[in-house]
Amino acid sequence: MLCKLTEIITKFPKTTIALFLIITVFFAAQFPKMKIDTDPENMLEQKQADRIFYDKVKKEFGIHDLLVVGIVDEKGIFNQDTLKRIAKVTDDILKIKGVIIEDVVSLRTSDNVTSEGGTLVVKRFMEEVPQNQEEIENLKKALYGNPFFVDKIISRDGTATSIYIPIESKNQSYRISKEVEKILKKELAPEQKYYLAGLPVAEDTFGHEMFVQMGITAPLAGFFIMILLFLIFRMGIAVIPPMLDAMLSVIWTMGLLIGLGFTVHIMSSMIPIFLMPIALLDDIHILSGFFDRYPLIKDKRKTLILTMKDLYRPMFFTSITSAVGFGSLALADIPPVRVFGLFVAFGIMAAWLFTHTIVPAFIMLMNEEKLAAFLEKRQKRASILDKILKAFGRFSFHRSKAILLASPLVLVLGIIGIYQIHINDNPVKWFKPKHKIRIADDVMNKSFGGTYMAYLAAEGDKEDVIKRPEAMSYLDKLQSHLEGLKIVGKTSSVADIVKRINYVLHDENKSFNTVPDNQQEIGQYLFLFSMTGDPNDLDNFLDYSSQKANIWIQMKGGDNTQMREVEHSAYDFMKENAPPKDITIRWSGLTYINKVWQNLMVWGMLKAVLGSFVIVFLLMVLEFRSLRLGIISMLPLTIAIVSSYGLVGFAGKDYDMPIAVCGALALGMAIDFAIHYLQRFKAAYREFKDLEATNTFMAGEPYRAIMGNAIVISLGFLPLITSTLTPYVTVGTFFALLMVFSTLATLILLPAIMRLWGNSLFQKEVSK
Amino acid sequence: MRTIKMLFVLSLLIFASFAGKVSFAKGELSADDIIAKSRFVFYYAGDDMKAKVLMELINKDGQKRIRELTMLRKNLGEGGNQKYFMYFHKPSDVKDTTFMVYKYPDRDDDRWLFIPSINLVKRIAANDKYSSFVGSDFTYEDVSGRKPDEDKHTLLRKETLNGKNCFVIESMPIGASEYTKRISWIDETNFLPLKEEFYDKQNELYRQFEAQEIKDINGILTATKRVMKNIKTGHRTEATFQEVEYNLGIGDDVFSERYLRRPPLEWIR
Repeated sequence: MLCKLTEIITKFPKTTIALFLIITVFFAAQFPKMKIDTDPENMLEQKQADRIFYDKVKKEFGIHDLLVVGIVDEKGIFNQDTLKRIAKVTDDILKIKGVIIEDVVSLRTSDNVTSEGGTLVVKRFMEEVPQNQEEIENLKKALYGNPFFVDKIISRDGTATSIYIPIESKNQSYRISKEVEKILKKELAPEQKYYLAGLPVAEDTFGHEMFVQMGITAPLAGFFIMILLFLIFRMGIAVIPPMLDAMLSVIWTMGLLIGLGFTVHIMSSMIPIFLMPIALLDDIHILSGFFDRYPLIKDKRKTLILTMKDLYRPMFFTSITSAVGFGSLALADIPPVRVFGLFVAFGIMAAWLFTHTIVPAFIMLMNEEKLAAFLEKRQKRASILDKILKAFGRFSFHRSKAILLASPLVLVLGIIGIYQIHINDNPVKWFKPKHKIRIADDVMNKSFGGTYMAYLAAEGDKEDVIKRPEAMSYLDKLQSHLEGLKIVGKTSSVADIVKRINYVLHDENKSFNTVPDNQQEIGQYLFLFSMTGDPNDLDNFLDYSSQKANIWIQMKGGDNTQMREVEHSAYDFMKENAPPKDITIRWSGLTYINKVWQNLMVWGMLKAVLGSFVIVFLLMVLEFRSLRLGIISMLPLTIAIVSSYGLVGFAGKDYDMPIAVCGALALGMAIDFAIHYLQRFKAAYREFKDLEATNTFMAGEPYRAIMGNAIVISLGFLPLITSTLTPYVTVGTFFALLMVFSTLATLILLPAIMRLWGNSLFQKEVSK
Repeated sequence: MRTIKMLFVLSLLIFASFAGKVSFAKGELSADDIIAKSRFVFYYAGDDMKAKVLMELINKDGQKRIRELTMLRKNLGEGGNQKYFMYFHKPSDVKDTTFMVYKYPDRDDDRWLFIPSINLVKRIAANDKYSSFVGSDFTYEDVSGRKPDEDKHTLLRKETLNGKNCFVIESMPIGASEYTKRISWIDETNFLPLKEEFYDKQNELYRQFEAQEIKDINGILTATKRVMKNIKTGHRTEATFQEVEYNLGIGDDVFSERYLRRPPLEWIR
């Protein structure tokens, strides 16, 4: 059937190309509809239980997205000029549309509750800018006298203050953060530094950088591959068909993704970079076979039909195994990873289609005379690479026993390494350490209670449960336990408010800095609190019917391992000190959500790798019609993947999202080398009927083709290393490493196996 | 034909300008006068007043919190100082809590709260321009009034609101304030504020007041249903004034710390 296709296409090359270009225009027309998605919550399904609960918590406790401004003055902020500037900055920020004025927390806008000469005084920390030293001292005393605000709006050393800016909706964060930055630039003195943190800022910056990646890194990778292709074929026009194939598959895939309404997430933004080198692998085989045969046949159409005939099977199997490898990501519970896998799989199959259509069509249009002249010149050269490959071939053939003994050792070593693997991720660390987001994050976490938020939501079974003394004091005890952990910078809850009111009502007598043991009292304190500020001041901590309370936990680090540690510690505490019977306590918050999806990812990826392993294995058994050959074909990539991950373990690199994804991908790609090797070996053995001779032949042209593929694949990912986002760097480096390992494993292990068992494996071929 | 048309238009114009003059002549009040009069009828009606106030605090999801209180008010001179006494019936955990406010037009109020669970009277000093009245969307200023000379008032236009002729007045605060602009619709006939809009620092409407029900109580028109809605948060407070009575001769001694601890039963029932 594919033969027919080739015959038709080589007859009507121009029509074929025109037809595909028209379809391509349709896919390209979808591009303007592109929507970027950088929300880490979308790593979870819409209906995932923890996500639904987090949404509920946010809604019930009126939690908005937050920009955080940190202002640092090394000489200290407690002087009139600096305070005046801070006041002006805050006033101007309140004027920005989209800022929720009432909920801004800062020196200028937050209320302090104190006791002065028997009177309960409620006033803003800095309603007026202090005019003299005495007033400055009063402000200092007020701030450090209220534990609720220390580490929140004022650093312990007095050099930093922060402004928490809740915003109406996340999609305004870019504009608002720009306006905030303009104000800071204008109003602050040059020696005062400012830092912008908060999730919306990080997300926006990330989205922006993603565009940069797609706009710069992907074309760069394309250009790089073009040079590699030129070095392989040494002929300008030969570069065009594979590049055309790569470009069209990227356009079709991204066009389809956008056209179907999917958003472009961190994962899917990597599709072009993955697709380009993979798409043109088969084309390299066609071109190299075509160039080898053309000087003998001297007819483009006949040469093509002949070349293609040998390649239909391996090209189909290498494509389908790669597609399965990527497609297996569909087993993961993380939607962006699923989308990525399925669309790359689509792209690979689209590339396979182009390999059978526009590539031969374009070759038909090449100028015959130039082609002939060039190929004649080329045949005379012999390269150093050939010599190296020959030596390589001899080595693995003659040292077969040593190799077969060493391989299990490498495997065991790899497994030991895998046991060292540290499963961890932190989306803020997706930025490189020198990035201004990372710097802001470091400074803010040093000066204040922590920028990583998690929540513990307590829910009673009926109204007013939280107002009960045992519930309230339990929250308090749980908080002091958590604050004992090094990573936890600060916790806040309704219990802190009740304690503060109790303390202030009793003329700031320290022995009343406690939760009262009487519900009436708690109820009346909360009532008093509601009389002093905004109607929604309590909302972040207590729901409307006093049935649910929310403890805010600010952490100084957002690594999943740190979150897990806090979670386990809280769990242990609750096991030893059971909460009141009618109260259930549950984790939430973004730092927790990140931990959840990361957990899902580890198991999802494991499922994906195992799933694709099984499918690829079955395909191999089918391809070689032999169980033993099926198993043998899987060996090199198994060793390559295990030892690569072992290396990750030994190197102490965290097993994060990009590393996890690479495994499933590598599987589908690495098998290609084994397919080509075994396929060519089988054919050659049939011809030579002798292992040594077959091996010598293999070390020539077949090795060159396999190496060519390996080089394009591993070097094709190299431009990713220049990226400003670490997931791209990780994928680039690790994937290149995986490919090098697989190539080496294939070219070392398979010849060794062939020497020992080749005769029995291919008996049928000889007897034929 | 054309001349007839012209004449008709002309006569309309004359009539219109004449009509305008008439209404203008009738209400030759300045914006300042209107605001002052309005404050008087709204906040100073009668010599004293007693009402049972039911407040429903409703969040954007429709969940409610309830405040039920008896409010006593006594004027100490026209447009001058006032005293308020409040006794809370509900919510149940604050029953017996009492609250007293001495209102001074020229400075922050004095407030005292009696907290029954610890048998303590506490004086409270807080800014009444922005602090919430018992957790509602009303500020203390909304409940007890704002001195007219704190804003610059302009009569924008006259228009009908729900069939009533109103002055529409713009008030721009002179000193620091939570709002940056207030627009009031004041009934031309009785000077009651029917609607007020408050604009925030971003120049956006954020709070809206409406007097939704007006009743004649012994000859004194009283807004018996008052709603304050926060447009931005969706939170609103509906205050219903029941059992309103005026000129009862409430004694000055009621407004004292002694009565905070032992509420005057004859008034609060």
